[in-house]
Amino acid sequence: MRPMTRRYLLVKVVCDRKLTNEQFHEALNNSARRYFGELGLSRIDPRIINFDAESSTAIVSCERTATSEFESAMALITSYAETPMSLLVLHVSGTVKGAARRKK
Amino acid sequence: MGKYLDLHVIPRPEDTESCERMADLLSTARYATVGLTVATGLLNERIRSMRRIFEEHDVNTVLRADFKPGSRTELLRLLRRFRNLYDVVAVRCLNQQVATVSCRDRRVDVVFFDVGNRNLRFSHTFARLLRGAVEFNLVSDLMNQGDGWVFSRTRKAITVAREHHVNVILSSGARNYEMVRSPFQISALAMTLGLTQEESIRGVSSTPLSIVTENRKKRAPEYVEEGVKIVVPSRR
Repeated sequence: MRPMTRRYLLVKVVCDRKLTNEQFHEALNNSARRYFGELGLSRIDPRIINFDAESSTAIVSCERTATSEFESAMALITSYAETPMSLLVLHVSGTVKGAARRKK
Repeated sequence: MGKYLDLHVIPRPEDTESCERMADLLSTARYATVGLTVATGLLNERIRSMRRIFEEHDVNTVLRADFKPGSRTELLRLLRRFRNLYDVVAVRCLNQQVATVSCRDRRVDVVFFDVGNRNLRFSHTFARLLRGAVEFNLVSDLMNQGDGWVFSRTRKAITVAREHHVNVILSSGARNYEMVRSPFQISALAMTLGLTQEESIRGVSSTPLSIVTENRKKRAPEYVEEGVKIVVPSRR
Protein backbone atom coordinates (compact mmCIF):
# COMPACT_ATOMS: atom_id res chain seq x y z
CA MET A 1 0.00 0.00 0.00
CA ARG A 2 1.26 3.45 -0.87
CA PRO A 3 2.06 5.53 2.22
CA MET A 4 0.04 8.70 2.84
CA THR A 5 2.01 11.51 1.31
CA ARG A 6 1.64 15.22 1.91
CA ARG A 7 1.69 18.39 -0.13
CA TYR A 8 3.45 21.55 1.00
CA LEU A 9 1.95 24.89 0.10
CA LEU A 10 3.63 28.26 0.11
CA VAL A 11 1.05 30.78 1.27
CA LYS A 12 1.07 34.57 1.40
CA VAL A 13 -1.01 36.08 4.19
CA VAL A 14 -2.71 39.36 3.28
CA CYS A 15 -3.87 40.95 6.51
CA ASP A 16 -3.48 44.40 8.03
CA ARG A 17 -2.68 43.02 11.46
CA LYS A 18 0.20 40.78 12.44
CA LEU A 19 -0.94 37.25 13.22
CA THR A 20 0.67 34.77 15.54
CA ASN A 21 1.24 31.16 14.63
CA GLU A 22 -1.74 30.08 16.77
CA GLN A 23 -4.08 32.63 15.24
CA PHE A 24 -3.07 31.57 11.74
CA HIS A 25 -3.63 27.93 12.65
CA GLU A 26 -7.04 28.78 14.09
CA ALA A 27 -8.02 30.66 10.92
CA LEU A 28 -7.02 27.68 8.75
CA ASN A 29 -8.83 25.15 10.91
CA ASN A 30 -11.97 27.24 11.24
CA SER A 31 -12.29 27.67 7.48
CA ALA A 32 -11.67 23.99 6.74
CA ARG A 33 -14.19 23.01 9.42
CA ARG A 34 -16.79 25.51 8.18
CA TYR A 35 -16.73 24.36 4.56
CA PHE A 36 -15.86 20.66 4.87
CA GLY A 37 -16.91 19.71 8.39
CA GLU A 38 -15.02 17.77 11.04
CA LEU A 39 -14.60 14.77 8.75
CA GLY A 40 -13.22 16.97 5.98
CA LEU A 41 -10.84 18.65 8.43
CA SER A 42 -9.51 15.28 9.52
CA ARG A 43 -9.06 14.28 5.87
CA ILE A 44 -7.22 17.53 5.07
CA ASP A 45 -5.14 17.38 8.27
CA PRO A 46 -3.64 20.87 7.94
CA ARG A 47 -0.30 21.58 9.62
CA ILE A 48 1.85 24.66 9.76
CA ILE A 49 5.46 23.93 8.92
CA ASN A 50 6.76 27.46 9.06
CA PHE A 51 5.05 30.78 9.65
CA ASP A 52 7.00 33.97 9.09
CA ALA A 53 5.03 36.91 10.44
CA GLU A 54 7.59 39.43 9.16
CA SER A 55 7.32 38.48 5.49
CA SER A 56 3.68 37.32 5.87
CA THR A 57 4.41 33.98 4.29
CA ALA A 58 3.88 30.48 5.55
CA ILE A 59 4.52 26.93 4.52
CA VAL A 60 1.60 24.71 5.38
CA SER A 61 0.97 21.09 4.60
CA CYS A 62 -2.03 18.85 4.01
CA GLU A 63 -2.82 15.33 2.87
CA ARG A 64 -2.08 14.89 -0.83
CA THR A 65 -5.58 13.63 -1.63
CA ALA A 66 -7.21 16.68 -0.02
CA THR A 67 -5.07 19.42 -1.57
CA SER A 68 -7.87 21.00 -3.58
CA GLU A 69 -10.16 21.05 -0.53
CA PHE A 70 -7.46 22.74 1.50
CA GLU A 71 -6.79 25.31 -1.22
CA SER A 72 -10.53 25.99 -1.47
CA ALA A 73 -10.82 26.42 2.29
CA MET A 74 -7.97 28.93 2.18
CA ALA A 75 -9.56 30.75 -0.76
CA LEU A 76 -12.76 31.22 1.20
CA ILE A 77 -11.12 32.86 4.23
CA THR A 78 -12.22 36.49 4.29
CA SER A 79 -11.50 37.67 7.81
CA TYR A 80 -10.00 36.78 11.14
CA ALA A 81 -11.37 38.35 14.33
CA GLU A 82 -13.21 40.97 12.26
CA THR A 83 -10.03 42.01 10.42
CA PRO A 84 -10.12 41.44 6.65
CA MET A 85 -7.73 38.69 5.71
CA SER A 86 -7.01 36.61 2.65
CA LEU A 87 -4.57 33.85 1.80
CA LEU A 88 -2.85 33.40 -1.55
CA VAL A 89 -1.45 30.01 -2.44
CA LEU A 90 1.73 30.77 -4.37
CA HIS A 91 3.17 27.33 -4.89
CA VAL A 92 2.34 23.69 -4.24
CA SER A 93 5.20 21.28 -3.78
CA GLY A 94 5.85 17.69 -2.77
CA THR A 95 8.66 18.65 -0.40
CA VAL A 96 9.26 21.33 2.22
CA LYS A 97 12.48 22.18 0.44
CA GLY A 98 10.68 22.79 -2.83
CA ALA A 99 8.17 25.14 -1.20
CA ALA A 100 10.92 26.96 0.73
CA ARG A 101 12.92 27.47 -2.47
CA ARG A 102 10.04 29.48 -3.95
CA LYS A 103 9.88 31.66 -0.89
CA LYS A 104 13.22 33.27 -1.70
CA MET B 1 5.79 35.29 -16.33
CA GLY B 2 2.85 33.03 -15.68
CA LYS B 3 0.30 31.81 -18.16
CA TYR B 4 -2.78 32.46 -16.09
CA LEU B 5 -5.57 34.93 -16.71
CA ASP B 6 -8.19 36.40 -14.47
CA LEU B 7 -10.72 37.78 -16.87
CA HIS B 8 -12.91 39.52 -14.32
CA VAL B 9 -11.22 42.06 -12.10
CA ILE B 10 -13.19 45.16 -11.16
CA PRO B 11 -10.87 47.77 -9.65
CA ARG B 12 -12.12 51.18 -8.56
CA PRO B 13 -10.48 53.67 -10.95
CA GLU B 14 -10.67 56.51 -8.41
CA ASP B 15 -8.79 54.54 -5.73
CA THR B 16 -5.19 54.40 -6.95
CA GLU B 17 -3.88 52.84 -3.76
CA SER B 18 -6.28 49.92 -3.96
CA CYS B 19 -5.42 49.47 -7.66
CA GLU B 20 -1.70 49.40 -6.80
CA ARG B 21 -2.20 46.81 -4.11
CA MET B 22 -4.43 44.73 -6.32
CA ALA B 23 -1.88 44.81 -9.14
CA ASP B 24 0.87 43.81 -6.73
CA LEU B 25 -1.08 40.81 -5.46
CA LEU B 26 -2.11 39.73 -8.95
CA SER B 27 1.53 39.84 -9.97
CA THR B 28 2.54 37.86 -6.85
CA ALA B 29 -0.14 35.30 -7.69
CA ARG B 30 1.56 34.92 -11.12
CA TYR B 31 -1.21 36.19 -13.34
CA ALA B 32 0.05 37.13 -16.79
CA THR B 33 -3.06 39.01 -17.88
CA VAL B 34 -6.14 40.40 -16.22
CA GLY B 35 -9.41 41.58 -17.69
CA LEU B 36 -10.01 45.05 -16.31
CA THR B 37 -13.73 45.59 -16.13
CA VAL B 38 -14.51 49.23 -16.74
CA ALA B 39 -17.71 51.22 -17.00
CA THR B 40 -18.62 52.11 -20.57
CA GLY B 41 -18.63 55.83 -19.79
CA LEU B 42 -15.20 55.92 -18.11
CA LEU B 43 -12.77 58.50 -19.47
CA ASN B 44 -9.92 57.16 -21.61
CA GLU B 45 -7.41 58.95 -19.43
CA ARG B 46 -8.62 57.12 -16.33
CA ILE B 47 -8.47 53.80 -18.17
CA ARG B 48 -4.91 54.52 -19.36
CA SER B 49 -3.68 55.41 -15.88
CA MET B 50 -5.29 52.28 -14.43
CA ARG B 51 -3.71 50.09 -17.10
CA ARG B 52 -0.35 51.73 -16.46
CA ILE B 53 -0.54 50.77 -12.77
CA PHE B 54 -1.11 47.12 -13.65
CA GLU B 55 1.51 47.08 -16.37
CA GLU B 56 4.10 48.55 -14.01
CA HIS B 57 3.60 45.38 -11.95
CA ASP B 58 4.15 43.15 -15.01
CA VAL B 59 0.50 42.29 -15.42
CA ASN B 60 -0.90 42.72 -18.93
CA THR B 61 -4.38 44.08 -19.20
CA VAL B 62 -7.32 43.62 -21.52
CA LEU B 63 -10.38 45.84 -21.42
CA ARG B 64 -13.63 44.22 -20.58
CA ALA B 65 -17.15 45.59 -20.51
CA ASP B 66 -19.92 44.04 -18.45
CA PHE B 67 -23.39 44.68 -19.81
CA LYS B 68 -26.45 44.31 -17.63
CA PRO B 69 -29.28 44.85 -20.10
CA GLY B 70 -32.85 44.60 -18.99
CA SER B 71 -34.17 43.55 -22.38
CA ARG B 72 -33.15 42.06 -25.70
CA THR B 73 -33.40 45.43 -27.48
CA GLU B 74 -31.11 47.07 -24.95
CA LEU B 75 -28.56 44.28 -25.30
CA LEU B 76 -28.48 44.59 -29.09
CA ARG B 77 -28.12 48.37 -28.84
CA LEU B 78 -25.20 48.03 -26.39
CA LEU B 79 -23.49 45.46 -28.60
CA ARG B 80 -23.84 47.66 -31.69
CA ARG B 81 -22.40 50.64 -29.86
CA PHE B 82 -19.61 49.16 -27.75
CA ARG B 83 -18.54 45.81 -29.22
CA ASN B 84 -15.58 47.28 -31.14
CA LEU B 85 -14.25 49.27 -28.20
CA TYR B 86 -13.49 46.39 -25.82
CA ASP B 87 -11.33 43.28 -25.92
CA VAL B 88 -13.88 41.22 -24.05
CA VAL B 89 -17.63 41.72 -23.88
CA ALA B 90 -19.54 39.99 -21.11
CA VAL B 91 -23.23 39.93 -20.32
CA ARG B 92 -24.72 39.50 -16.89
CA CYS B 93 -27.94 37.65 -17.59
CA LEU B 94 -30.78 39.10 -15.58
CA ASN B 95 -33.72 37.50 -17.32
CA GLN B 96 -34.64 34.68 -19.69
CA GLN B 97 -34.93 36.90 -22.77
CA VAL B 98 -31.49 38.50 -22.34
CA ALA B 99 -29.89 35.15 -21.49
CA THR B 100 -31.26 33.52 -24.65
CA VAL B 101 -30.06 36.31 -26.95
CA SER B 102 -26.65 36.69 -25.31
CA CYS B 103 -25.97 32.95 -25.43
CA ARG B 104 -26.86 32.88 -29.12
CA ASP B 105 -25.17 36.11 -30.26
CA ARG B 106 -21.59 35.57 -31.41
CA ARG B 107 -20.57 39.10 -30.46
CA VAL B 108 -20.93 38.13 -26.82
CA ASP B 109 -17.76 36.48 -25.52
CA VAL B 110 -18.80 35.61 -22.02
CA VAL B 111 -22.09 35.16 -20.23
CA PHE B 112 -22.51 34.88 -16.51
CA PHE B 113 -25.43 34.46 -14.19
CA ASP B 114 -26.17 36.12 -10.92
CA VAL B 115 -26.13 33.45 -8.19
CA GLY B 116 -28.44 35.58 -6.08
CA ASN B 117 -31.14 35.49 -8.77
CA ARG B 118 -33.38 32.57 -7.89
CA ASN B 119 -35.47 32.87 -11.05
CA LEU B 120 -32.68 32.32 -13.56
CA ARG B 121 -29.85 29.80 -13.70
CA PHE B 122 -27.50 28.35 -16.29
CA SER B 123 -29.73 25.60 -17.65
CA HIS B 124 -29.52 23.02 -20.44
CA THR B 125 -31.41 25.40 -22.76
CA PHE B 126 -28.72 28.07 -22.46
CA ALA B 127 -25.91 25.53 -22.64
CA ARG B 128 -27.26 24.28 -25.99
CA LEU B 129 -27.45 27.83 -27.38
CA LEU B 130 -24.13 29.06 -26.03
CA ARG B 131 -21.54 30.21 -28.58
CA GLY B 132 -19.08 31.96 -26.29
CA ALA B 133 -18.20 30.83 -22.81
CA VAL B 134 -19.90 30.69 -19.46
CA GLU B 135 -18.11 32.34 -16.58
CA PHE B 136 -18.14 31.45 -12.92
CA ASN B 137 -17.00 34.24 -10.61
CA LEU B 138 -16.12 31.82 -7.88
CA VAL B 139 -14.54 34.10 -5.32
CA SER B 140 -17.07 36.93 -5.38
CA ASP B 141 -20.09 34.60 -5.61
CA LEU B 142 -19.05 32.21 -2.89
CA MET B 143 -17.59 34.84 -0.59
CA ASN B 144 -20.46 37.28 -0.67
CA GLN B 145 -23.26 34.79 -0.41
CA GLY B 146 -21.43 31.82 1.02
CA ASP B 147 -24.38 29.71 2.12
CA GLY B 148 -24.99 26.12 1.10
CA TRP B 149 -27.59 27.13 -1.41
CA VAL B 150 -25.10 29.11 -3.50
CA PHE B 151 -22.65 26.21 -3.46
CA SER B 152 -25.28 23.74 -4.66
CA ARG B 153 -26.46 26.15 -7.35
CA THR B 154 -22.94 26.69 -8.66
CA ARG B 155 -22.30 22.96 -8.58
CA LYS B 156 -25.44 22.33 -10.68
CA ALA B 157 -24.42 24.99 -13.21
CA ILE B 158 -20.96 23.43 -13.50
CA THR B 159 -22.54 20.00 -14.05
CA VAL B 160 -24.66 21.42 -16.89
CA ALA B 161 -21.61 23.09 -18.46
CA ARG B 162 -19.64 19.84 -18.30
CA GLU B 163 -22.48 17.84 -19.77
CA HIS B 164 -22.67 20.09 -22.83
CA HIS B 165 -18.90 20.56 -23.18
CA VAL B 166 -19.21 24.34 -23.22
CA ASN B 167 -16.24 26.61 -22.64
CA VAL B 168 -15.90 27.43 -18.97
CA ILE B 169 -14.05 30.46 -17.65
CA LEU B 170 -13.13 30.69 -14.00
CA SER B 171 -12.60 34.15 -12.59
CA SER B 172 -12.41 35.81 -9.24
CA GLY B 173 -14.71 38.78 -9.83
CA ALA B 174 -12.44 40.68 -7.43
CA ARG B 175 -13.57 44.20 -6.53
CA ASN B 176 -10.68 44.91 -4.16
CA TYR B 177 -7.32 43.46 -3.22
CA GLU B 178 -8.83 41.31 -0.46
CA MET B 179 -10.71 39.32 -3.08
CA VAL B 180 -7.68 38.43 -5.17
CA ARG B 181 -6.92 34.72 -5.17
CA SER B 182 -4.25 32.72 -6.96
CA PRO B 183 -5.12 30.63 -10.04
CA PHE B 184 -4.39 27.48 -8.00
CA GLN B 185 -7.09 28.44 -5.52
CA ILE B 186 -9.64 29.31 -8.19
CA SER B 187 -9.04 26.03 -9.97
CA ALA B 188 -9.19 24.19 -6.63
CA LEU B 189 -12.58 25.78 -5.89
CA ALA B 190 -13.86 24.62 -9.27
CA MET B 191 -12.53 21.12 -8.65
CA THR B 192 -14.32 21.02 -5.33
CA LEU B 193 -17.51 22.02 -7.17
CA GLY B 194 -17.23 19.30 -9.80
CA LEU B 195 -14.78 20.18 -12.58
CA THR B 196 -11.83 17.94 -13.33
CA GLN B 197 -8.29 19.19 -12.81
CA GLU B 198 -7.67 19.65 -16.56
CA GLU B 199 -10.94 21.52 -17.08
CA SER B 200 -10.32 23.81 -14.13
CA ILE B 201 -6.77 24.65 -15.20
CA ARG B 202 -8.07 25.33 -18.72
CA GLY B 203 -10.65 27.68 -17.18
CA VAL B 204 -7.96 29.99 -15.81
CA SER B 205 -5.49 29.67 -18.67
CA SER B 206 -6.15 28.53 -22.24
CA THR B 207 -9.90 29.19 -22.55
CA PRO B 208 -9.76 32.89 -21.55
CA LEU B 209 -6.51 33.29 -23.49
CA SER B 210 -8.11 31.99 -26.69
CA ILE B 211 -10.97 34.50 -26.32
CA VAL B 212 -8.55 37.39 -25.82
CA THR B 213 -6.31 36.32 -28.74
CA GLU B 214 -9.26 35.86 -31.09
CA ASN B 215 -10.73 39.25 -30.20
CA ARG B 216 -7.40 41.03 -30.59
CA LYS B 217 -7.13 39.52 -34.05
CA LYS B 218 -10.62 40.79 -34.87
CA ARG B 219 -9.84 44.30 -33.62
CA ALA B 220 -6.69 44.57 -35.74
CA PRO B 221 -6.99 47.10 -38.63
CA GLU B 222 -6.31 44.46 -41.33
CA TYR B 223 -9.22 42.27 -40.19
CA VAL B 224 -12.29 42.52 -42.42
CA GLU B 225 -14.44 39.58 -41.44
CA GLU B 226 -14.09 35.91 -40.62
CA GLY B 227 -11.67 34.43 -43.17
CA VAL B 228 -10.97 37.79 -44.82
CA LYS B 229 -8.12 40.13 -43.96
CA ILE B 230 -6.11 42.77 -45.80
CA VAL B 231 -2.69 41.46 -46.72
CA VAL B 232 -0.13 44.22 -47.22
CA PRO B 233 2.17 43.36 -50.16
CA SER B 234 5.76 42.86 -49.10
CA ARG B 235 8.35 45.44 -50.25
CA ARG B 236 10.65 42.93 -51.90
